Amino acid sequence: MTFLVPLPVALPLLGAALTLVLVRRPVLQRTISVAALGATLVVAVLLLWYAYRSGPQVVRIGGWPSPVGIVLVADQLAALMLAVSVAVTLCVLLYSVGEGRADPGQHSPVVIYHPTFLVLTAGVTNAFLAGDLFNLFVGFEILLAASYVLLTLGGTEARTRAGTTYVLVSLLSSLIFLTGVGLVYAATGTVNMAQLASRLDALPDDLRLALQLVLLLAFGIKAAVFPLSAWLPDSYPTAPAPVTAVFAGLLTKVGVYAIIRSETLLFPDGRTDGLLMVAALLTMLVGILGAVAQNDLKRLLSFTLVSHIGYLLFGVALGSVAGLAGAVYYVVHHITIQTTLFLAVGLVERRTGSTHLDRIGGLARLAPLLGIMFFVPALNLAGVPPFSGFLGKLGLLRAGVDAGGLLPGLLVAAGSLTSLLTLYATTRAWNLAFWRAPRLADPDAAPGLPALMVGATTVLVLLGLGLTVGAGPIFDIGVEAAEDLRLRLPYVEAVLPGDGP
Amino acid sequence: MLVLLALQFGAASVAPVLVRCWGRRACYPLALAPAAALGWAVGHTARVTDGGAVVETYPWVPGLGLDLALRVTTLSWLMVVLVGGIGALVLVYCAGYFDADEPGLGRFVAIFVCFVGAMLGVVVADNLLLLYVFWELTSVCSYLLIGQHPEQAASRRAATQALIVTTLGGLAMLVGFILVGEHAGTYRWSEIEARPPSGGAYLVVAVLLIVAGVVTKSALFPASFWLPAAMAAPTPVSAYLHAAAMVKAGIYLVALLAPVYADVGPWRPLLFVAGAGTMLLGGWAALRQVDLKLLLAYGTISQLGMLTVLVAAGDPDAALAGTTLLLAHALFKATLFLVVGIVDQRAGTRDLTVLSGLWRRMPLVGAVALLAAASMAGVPPLLGFVAKEAVFEAFVGDPPLLAALVAGSALTAGYTARFVWGAFADRPGAEPTPTRPVEPVLLLPAAALAVAGLALGPFAGGVGEALRTYPGVFGATDHHLALWHGPGLALGLSATALAGGLLLFVLFRPVRPALARLRAPFDGDTAYQYVARVLDRLAVEVTGATQRGSLPQYLGIILLVLVVGPGGVLLFGDVRPHVAAHWENPLQAVVGVVLVVAAVLAVRARRRLTAVILVGLTGYGTGLLFLLHGAPEVALTQFLVETVTIVIFVLVLRRLPTHFSRRRLRRIRWGRIGLGLAVGTVMAGLVLVARASRQAAPVSENFPQLARDFGYGRNVVNVILVDIRAWDTLGEISVLVVAGTGVASLIFQFRRRPSRARRPDLPAPGPERVWLRAGSTLHIRRRSIVLEVVVRLIFHTIVIFSIFLLWSGHNGPGGGFTGGLVAGLALALRYLAGGRHELDQAAPVDASVVLGTGLLFAIGTGLLALPLGGQVLQSARVDVHLPLVGDVHLVTSVFFDIGVYLVVVGLALDILRSLGAEVDHQIEVEEAPGGGLRTSGEQTPGVRG
Amino acid sequence: MTPDVVLVVVVGVLFATGAILLMERSLSRALLGVILFGNGVNLLLLLAGHPGGVPIVGITPAEEMADPLPEAMILTAIVITLGLTAFLLALAYRSWQLIGHDEVRDDPEDRRIVRRAERDQVSGPDDSTTEGPLAPDGFGGLDPEQVDPEPPPRRFDGPATEPPQPPGGTAGPR
Repeated sequence: MTFLVPLPVALPLLGAALTLVLVRRPVLQRTISVAALGATLVVAVLLLWYAYRSGPQVVRIGGWPSPVGIVLVADQLAALMLAVSVAVTLCVLLYSVGEGRADPGQHSPVVIYHPTFLVLTAGVTNAFLAGDLFNLFVGFEILLAASYVLLTLGGTEARTRAGTTYVLVSLLSSLIFLTGVGLVYAATGTVNMAQLASRLDALPDDLRLALQLVLLLAFGIKAAVFPLSAWLPDSYPTAPAPVTAVFAGLLTKVGVYAIIRSETLLFPDGRTDGLLMVAALLTMLVGILGAVAQNDLKRLLSFTLVSHIGYLLFGVALGSVAGLAGAVYYVVHHITIQTTLFLAVGLVERRTGSTHLDRIGGLARLAPLLGIMFFVPALNLAGVPPFSGFLGKLGLLRAGVDAGGLLPGLLVAAGSLTSLLTLYATTRAWNLAFWRAPRLADPDAAPGLPALMVGATTVLVLLGLGLTVGAGPIFDIGVEAAEDLRLRLPYVEAVLPGDGP
Repeated sequence: MLVLLALQFGAASVAPVLVRCWGRRACYPLALAPAAALGWAVGHTARVTDGGAVVETYPWVPGLGLDLALRVTTLSWLMVVLVGGIGALVLVYCAGYFDADEPGLGRFVAIFVCFVGAMLGVVVADNLLLLYVFWELTSVCSYLLIGQHPEQAASRRAATQALIVTTLGGLAMLVGFILVGEHAGTYRWSEIEARPPSGGAYLVVAVLLIVAGVVTKSALFPASFWLPAAMAAPTPVSAYLHAAAMVKAGIYLVALLAPVYADVGPWRPLLFVAGAGTMLLGGWAALRQVDLKLLLAYGTISQLGMLTVLVAAGDPDAALAGTTLLLAHALFKATLFLVVGIVDQRAGTRDLTVLSGLWRRMPLVGAVALLAAASMAGVPPLLGFVAKEAVFEAFVGDPPLLAALVAGSALTAGYTARFVWGAFADRPGAEPTPTRPVEPVLLLPAAALAVAGLALGPFAGGVGEALRTYPGVFGATDHHLALWHGPGLALGLSATALAGGLLLFVLFRPVRPALARLRAPFDGDTAYQYVARVLDRLAVEVTGATQRGSLPQYLGIILLVLVVGPGGVLLFGDVRPHVAAHWENPLQAVVGVVLVVAAVLAVRARRRLTAVILVGLTGYGTGLLFLLHGAPEVALTQFLVETVTIVIFVLVLRRLPTHFSRRRLRRIRWGRIGLGLAVGTVMAGLVLVARASRQAAPVSENFPQLARDFGYGRNVVNVILVDIRAWDTLGEISVLVVAGTGVASLIFQFRRRPSRARRPDLPAPGPERVWLRAGSTLHIRRRSIVLEVVVRLIFHTIVIFSIFLLWSGHNGPGGGFTGGLVAGLALALRYLAGGRHELDQAAPVDASVVLGTGLLFAIGTGLLALPLGGQVLQSARVDVHLPLVGDVHLVTSVFFDIGVYLVVVGLALDILRSLGAEVDHQIEVEEAPGGGLRTSGEQTPGVRG
Repeated sequence: MTPDVVLVVVVGVLFATGAILLMERSLSRALLGVILFGNGVNLLLLLAGHPGGVPIVGITPAEEMADPLPEAMILTAIVITLGLTAFLLALAYRSWQLIGHDEVRDDPEDRRIVRRAERDQVSGPDDSTTEGPLAPDGFGGLDPEQVDPEPPPRRFDGPATEPPQPPGGTAGPR
């Protein structure tokens, strides 16, 4: 089934090419892009199935034997991330289609919206599948370039400023990443990750540490780890709702994925674990305090996004199977929920004309369905049982308690505190936006919401509940993935048969 | 049992619909759900009271030790009875309580039933984590129920307060559970109880955390403040919340854990102090209240304190007394709240300084209230009395605590009297409060509960029998419940308590000032507000400090981390770059020097153009270094790219101010420069170290013959690009595609889409075409005929050359990129010489179409290999015989390269169209009329001339 | 083996100058910084491989060839940089079009909170007190390099740009 592996990248690119050629045919564009992503989703689910049943799926691009050519690897972790993110992306696409159809007056960038969105997806999937450090860099570049364009759609003043911040920070991180790749090649003479696993082990410890730090820095910026996170709340909220949603859901997670991959496969000697734990601690607390200080929904959510990256880092830093498993499950949960919330807020904005808590109120009565679509994911985000957020948090806390020691203890405490403060921030937002006496920033906002937008959001909410109900198998996948990551051997064996680290 | 739970939540989910159909009458069918729980419990009475347990287990998340393990023993059986029975009765009561047109009734009922389900879950859960799940669910439900009238700020605040406080404790409790579970290796309480793991420091911590959870949930001092505030909820909610749910969860948990943890260090002291303190403070506060509902609320707090002391004691007699009091309290407290609800509804006020003479107007209600109140005060022959007796019996051995308990009972009796008197008696010189009639549906539930309290008194023995197995776990006891133990200490104490209470009530006037003055040492509510405030301030300070919003600062921090991290390792780590000063050839040194100078000057430059040119210089220098290092391919591309870059810069710079804005602060500049130098040093050091410690041979060592034998090309770099690592190239061109479209979307802001500007007044391209488009369009001052002609002449030559580069790339220098860039430059020349219409004529296509086609070519070639049985992007060699040309060896990867070529051309076209033509157009629009155009510029929709 | 010392120095200088320019407020300057930085990275990649003759079979014997793999990577990197440069320039132009210069301003919402921190205020509407719309003073905060709003924004394209927006509040994809 290896021929499936490159499709999650190839199909969206194909779609992008077609939508570009058909730049004059909006309807056809929509159809193509939805079809492309739908097909990608099917492929991704199949891949997850095969990876779960019969180990990592490897394809050698162009038939070149690895380590000569580029390999794409779909092990359980990659496949899981793939499936979830593509599903989420599809929902967001439908949402934006609904939005676009709702107001036909605004065409101009919609013409480029679809191709760009598809390329973004291709970049994300490529980053997940990359089995080659330089190709990982290229994957990042693809998704970043697309994200630059999407973030500046419409080129308003706010977006231009936000875009500038975002683009320059990301460019710097890319350059640092590329430097890291160059240094790694200089030291080892290869960029194939499986081969690197063994060659890096042969390097002097401190050199390896230096390389690790360079790469961690690059990934840390993308994953928005404190103190490298300040760019995120400034840039994400200004974008159009679906764009913000897909950014919040996916982009940072790609960074986290890269961290997980490099920490386990390339640099398994947990020399940076302490550092990561401190970073996780600060990210959680600073992030959530930022959320408490905000009074705009989008910005509030952006800060919670940063803060919850801390959870993921926590799991990675523990390095134990339990920690990694928890982190993996939490990633899956967080991709879904954060996206859902941003879409819901997009609906709020559409209904009231603003996301600013001073200007809106009483939505629970004006739009009860919208209330549910915000309330349930919000509780979920705050880790209120029985939702997936709680399960993920539980996994991480258990791992932390198992690890014992001072830092993990602190992290357990901070983790609990963070989820309490998340609840504090979200309930305050809920009280203001939904519970107090109705007020609309834009009185003549459309009372009705486009069915497709609502539908897409609902599907995501249900997906989140699905993560709760089906937590058993998903968490098992997480555990198995974590075990494979700790062992390293399955991955290396799959890419380079007969050459363990 | 799972069915029971499912039933509750199912009922909750359909509740809104039912309410929409049947209005408030929908409460009756919904009441069946809790009633079913009661029925189930009654059905299993025999099995449970014989010490058996009803167990069900279903998997959920085995990886987390979280499964749906349900277990009902005596204790939980009792709770199920209360939760189900009182739940059902309160629902019935709701049908009468709410007006037919109560807003949000559907939501309310749904959440209420949900609440019942959650509470049911708490008491039947065997898995501690599962217990926590339901525990939190009750918090959420109470949040929504208390916030039933969310427009009032007070009710919002009360709801949030309850949620946050209980969740705080809940999280502590969760961590406690995890500590316990991880050490025990299981989260099933039944298993932990059977084989308690050895204690240790962790256990103390765990117990502390769990107790924190209990204190917040059961509104024990100092966390008791949220409960009175929660009176904002509709009365039925209060009744349920106080009698059976929420606050009872904490008591239940203590009772559940006591058998194992009663002897752990902090357990007894903590819970005794908290409990006794709460009992006295609560009772004292209750005496003070004038609002009947608040009076009851503080009464509950006091009772909860007493219950905590009893169930925490961990000795059989106390346990028996505790469970009995639990039952009694549930019965009378629910009754009293329901009564208050009736009074409130029918008399229009709950203020006992206003109410008067209700016992005449609603005698039945008065009777019911009296019954329940008597039980609360501990008057024989009611169940409350039996419980009190048992309590005093149990603590005979502990004088101080006994004293406290008696005092608590006295207070209880006191505020009970105050309640009854205030609610129903005649106030001298006051008109009887007008009331509306009370229909039976309101009274019946209350009456049922009160009567139960009366009936169970005489049958206390039976109650004791039913509950005996729970106290049994603490050890054997000869004491058993009975209405009449004969004269003894207990009886005396009961009498004392009652007498004291009555005394308190009679002497109310003289006591009042003391009441007013003597208050709890501090008020939890203000504490909460204070903490919240501090938190908000802290948030603002931290955010203000970390989130400055300044981009240069963000970048600076990143670079700083770069210097500190890897730089630190270089400095202190065990890595030494052994520098051997040697260079291949002197020319490199020369280029190097020039490059360095240019770079430094570029930093200092204040005119934009100067800076651009200097940077361009460094670019060309880099290209030269590539060349000298044996990378002509790269060098060529670098030169071309640099040229294109400069062109683009010039196109944009013509609009931007000539000088950079003046920088203000010197200090910051120096810091900046220092940081920059550090970055440079670290990078140089890193590359030295990395390169020096290379042991293994590069993977690329045998690329040459691989390229020749399998890539069918002699230019190794090109083969890498279009074949060995074609996947990278694919990604790269998609970046280009996106960048191109992005440029267009930014510049073409107020056109429908980047469309070619067709001039209406241009002669249609027919037999006699205009050779130099600019002739008719470009202003005379901007024209240079010679340049135009030259460009026009060499244009096709350049394009053909670019195609040659593309073709020959596989074996010689060149390839898709170089070819595409050359073609792009050709277009740029056409534009620069002849203006945008010349450009349109040179390339009469949409840029996006070119980009799309290019991407399509590349990805298509890649995918075509699949059906032909190869891998993606696998290349093959095709030998075709063309007439005239002869045999041609065609490598499929050439098509891929064509894609690359097209994409690059498309990018160039897009850039020229946007940053060139469109910007021209905008300039013209600004300058028009009388601007650079002979004919006034065309008015595209959306552009103000 | 160690790389040519000249190249190493050049790499260092390019990184240093690039970094310095990158931290400027003027977008076009920062962009120049990116380009310098990028050239530095490319040279660094070149140093990662061993030097030698032109990697074309037939011209140089295989064992004397320069390492071709880094060259391919550089090519990829160069071209990507080209695309992004174009995009950033478009961004700079757009910024000039909207606000009259290409300086990167601070984020107004952040500045608001910073100011509140200085005045020891609580941010965000706590439930009881609800503040009116924000004062539109996003600029002139702490940072001494903050550009003053002069020259006044020159918007000649009415229908294109939406009216100045409340921070956070933006329109859907247009």
